Amino acid sequence: MLPARTAPLLSGALFAAALYLVPVPFAGYPYVLFALTLTLCYAIPAMALNLLLGYTGLVSLGHMGFAGVGAYVTAVLMKHGIASFAPSIAAGTLAAGFVGALVGVPCLRLRSHFFIIVTLAVGMLLFLLFNNLDWLTGGAAGLPGIPRPRPLDLGFAVVDPRRPVGIYLLAATVFVLVFVIQYALVRSDFGRSLAAIRQDETLAASRGVDVFAHKLTIFAISAAIAGLGGGLQVVFLRAAAPQSFGLLEDINLVLIVIVGGAGSLFGPSLGALLFVALPEALRVADAFRMVLFGAALVALALFAPRGLWGLAAAAARKLRSDESAVARVGHS
Amino acid sequence: MPASGIRFAVTALLEQIVNGMMMGAIYVLVALGMVLIFGVMEVLNFAHGVLFMAGGYLCDVFVVHATGSYPLAVVLTMVTLAIVGMALERTVFRRLRVNLPMQIVASLGLILIAENGAVLLFGPSALQLSVPSVRSLVRVGELSFTVQHFIIVGATVVSIGALHVFLHHTRFGTALRATSQNAEAARVIGIDSASIYRITFAVACALAGLGGALLGPLFLISPQMGDLPLLKGLTAIVLGGMASIPGAIVGGFAIGIVEAVSTLFIATEYRDMVVFTVLIAILLMRPWGLFSVRVRGDA
Repeated sequence: MLPARTAPLLSGALFAAALYLVPVPFAGYPYVLFALTLTLCYAIPAMALNLLLGYTGLVSLGHMGFAGVGAYVTAVLMKHGIASFAPSIAAGTLAAGFVGALVGVPCLRLRSHFFIIVTLAVGMLLFLLFNNLDWLTGGAAGLPGIPRPRPLDLGFAVVDPRRPVGIYLLAATVFVLVFVIQYALVRSDFGRSLAAIRQDETLAASRGVDVFAHKLTIFAISAAIAGLGGGLQVVFLRAAAPQSFGLLEDINLVLIVIVGGAGSLFGPSLGALLFVALPEALRVADAFRMVLFGAALVALALFAPRGLWGLAAAAARKLRSDESAVARVGHS
Repeated sequence: MPASGIRFAVTALLEQIVNGMMMGAIYVLVALGMVLIFGVMEVLNFAHGVLFMAGGYLCDVFVVHATGSYPLAVVLTMVTLAIVGMALERTVFRRLRVNLPMQIVASLGLILIAENGAVLLFGPSALQLSVPSVRSLVRVGELSFTVQHFIIVGATVVSIGALHVFLHHTRFGTALRATSQNAEAARVIGIDSASIYRITFAVACALAGLGGALLGPLFLISPQMGDLPLLKGLTAIVLGGMASIPGAIVGGFAIGIVEAVSTLFIATEYRDMVVFTVLIAILLMRPWGLFSVRVRGDA
C-alpha cells in the first residue's frame, strides 16, 4: 500500500504522462487530436467551475460568460497583432478574473438561490455584450482569423501549434498547469476553509473564516481560470463566436461538472471527455438520441447523486472493502 | 408639430404598456408555478419552460384533433398538464428535494427530452394555431390589439384570484401554506406532505400549461417557445423574493412592462439586457428581493 500522500501525486503524474503520450499513437489521426484538444479546452473552465460548485458549494450558471471575456480579450489582442500569444492569453485571464471579482462583490452577498439566478443573468448579459458589440467582438458573426502561436523550439524538439499535435501539446500543458493549481488550491489551508464554508457557512464564520473574502477570492480565481480556457479555445478554433459562450454552453459546463462528479479532482475532466469527445465521436445531433441523452441525465440525477466519478469511487471502495472482508475471513 | 409628436409618443407608450401587460401576464403564469414549487418543496424546476411549451402543443392537438373549441382545449390542456405534473413530482422531483445540483441536472434532462421529443412528434418547424380570438381585433383609440391580448391578461387575473381563494379559503390550501412555512411542524399536526407536494406540482404545471395554451395561438408554437418565459419567470421570482406569491406577480408584470417600454428607447437586441441589468441593480439594493420574505433555515 502506498502512503496516503504519494498515491494521488503518483496517479497525477501517470495521468500527465498519459496525456503527453497521446499524440504518439494518434499523430496520424488529426480528428482524434481535434476532439481531445477541444475536450481539454472545456475541461479547463470545468475545473474552474468545480472549484466553486464542488469545493465551495457555489453554483454559478453563467461561467462560460467569464470564459468568453478571456476569449474575446485574447482574440482581439492577437487578431490585431497587438500582442503575441502568451501576453494575450495572460491579459485574457486577468481580464476574466477582474470581471469575476467585479461581479462577485455584489452577487456573493446574495443567498444561495438568488446567487444562482443572478449568475445566470450575468452569463446572459455577457453573452448579449459579445453578441451585440459589433465594433469590438464582431457581433453575431464572431471574430475569425485569429493566428496560432509561433513554433516553440525546445532544443530537443520543435512544438508547432499550427499543427494538430502542437496545439494538442499546448492545450495539454495549460490543462496540466490548471490541474496542478486546482490540486494545490484544494489541498491548501485556503481550500480547507472553502470546504468548511460549503459544509456550514455560519460555523465557518464563527471559527474565524472570513467567508466573504474567501468566496470572492475563489470566485475571481475561478473566473480567471475559465477565461484562460476560453482564450485557449479561441486560439485553437482560430475564431471567437458568441454562441460558444451563450446559455447553452453555460448549461453544458454545469452538466460537465455535475455529471462528471463535482468536488472530485478528476470529475470535471471525465465530464468534459463525456460531453465533448463522445458527441464529437458519435455525432450526436439527431433528436431521438438527444431524448435518450436527456433520459440518461434524469436517471443519473436520481441514481448517482455524486456524479459519475462519485459512482466509480463508491464502486471501487465497495470492491476494496469486499476484498478485505474476504481476506479477513480467509485469515480466521 | 410638437403637439402631434407628444401625441405619437403617448400612443406608442400606451401600446407598449398593453403589450407589456400581456407578456407580463404570461411571465406571471410561469412564475407562479415556480414560486409555488420552490416555496413548498424548495425545488427549483428549471424544466418549467418545457411544461409551458407542452401547453402550447397540447392545446394545438386538442383544438385540431379533438374538440375544435379553443376554450375547451385550454381546459383539457391544463388538466393533462396537472396529471403530468403529478407524475413528474412522484418519479423525479420528490427524490431530489435536498440535492440542488441534481435538480438542475434532472431539469436539463427533462428539457432535452421534451424539446427533442417535440421535434420528433411535430417536426422542427413552428406550428401556427389559428383561433377566433387572435383574428378579431379590439380598437382602443388609434391602437388595435387582438382579443387574445385581453384574454391573456384576464385569464391571468382570474388564475391569481382562484389561487388566492384556494390558498387562503380552503383546508387544502391552508395545509399547503402550512407545509411551506414549516414542513416538519405540518407533518406533526397530521398534514400528509406527499399529497401536498403532488397538488403543488399539479397546480404549478397546470398554470404553466395555461400560459403556453394562451400564448401559442398569438405567437408560434415551437420547441423552444418556453425558454424565454422560463428565464423571465425565474427573474420574476427572484425579484419578488423567491418564495413570495405577490412578489412573483408584481415581478412578472414589471418585467413584461419594462422590457416592452424599453424597446421605445433602445434597440430590441438589448431588451433582455435591460431586464437582467434591472434584476442585478434591484438585488444590489434589496438582496432579499422586492418582497422580502425570510424563508425557513435563514439566520
